[in-house]
Amino acid sequence: MKCEDVYLHICDHLDEDISSPRCRMIREHLDACPNCQAYLSSLKKTITLYKAIPEPSVPAHAHKELFKTISVLTSHRATPVKRKARSKGTTLRH
Amino acid sequence: MSISPVNRRVPRLLADDALIEQAKTGDHRAFTELVRRYEETVYRFSFKICRDQDKASETLQDTFVNVFRKLDSFDGKAKFSTWLYTIVTNNCLMKRRRRKSDEMEESLEAYDHAHLPHDDTQHPVLATSAGDPADVVITKELRGILDAAMEKLPEDYRVVFVMRDIEGRSTEETAGVLGLSIEATKSRLRRARAFLRDQLHPYITAHPEVMS
Repeated sequence: MKCEDVYLHICDHLDEDISSPRCRMIREHLDACPNCQAYLSSLKKTITLYKAIPEPSVPAHAHKELFKTISVLTSHRATPVKRKARSKGTTLRH
Repeated sequence: MSISPVNRRVPRLLADDALIEQAKTGDHRAFTELVRRYEETVYRFSFKICRDQDKASETLQDTFVNVFRKLDSFDGKAKFSTWLYTIVTNNCLMKRRRRKSDEMEESLEAYDHAHLPHDDTQHPVLATSAGDPADVVITKELRGILDAAMEKLPEDYRVVFVMRDIEGRSTEETAGVLGLSIEATKSRLRRARAFLRDQLHPYITAHPEVMS
């Protein structure tokens, strides 16, 4: 297996069945190729950095606006069998 | 299966499937509970794709309005979260600047052709271990670089990277959300990872302490 082949399949190697014949070949190549080892390492580090970004939370104003919208939507809905009465031109966003 | 009168009064105690069925009957408390349960999930995913607080807030609204209008068509064959991801993705992709994105997509195809760098061993800072996200300190400078790199990635590639590598979703689920084949999804993931890696590589090599 050449470096180019490893490059094309290295992503699969990151998260797929590591016992597959192709992954075994990739592992064998990696064991002997510092370039590909470094490349794989930098790919993994890239992912780690993105995973380390703190998760955002819904801003208070967006939360408030969302539940205001939901309240309008649900209050306009009578019973499920009679929902066809909803006006076509009604806008429910504020 | 019918929903007991007791459970009908307490949507918070219901599992998702029962909650969805109850919401479909017009129970506004059940629908509100569904929104409460998935509000953060939808916002976080929207933010990761839109990269903008206002757009993510707008997508949050649009997504749940769509969910309300289309809930009857949700048949439960896919996971509810997958259905939500699909709606969020469609809302985000509709907002994208198509021309710029298409131009970038063409340049990303170059990552399919033996893009393997041949001088990485000149950078001994690249150890074998990738490290734990919990051990990484995201400085303002690093955050700026991560955001700038992600901004350059077309949104449909972004969806693949976020779903697979950040959210940990399967290739099959990601393919389903974007309406792509498994092979096309893998190809986009490969290009996205390689592109982001190239964007970050100078910083990582210059700041080995970031991953130590």
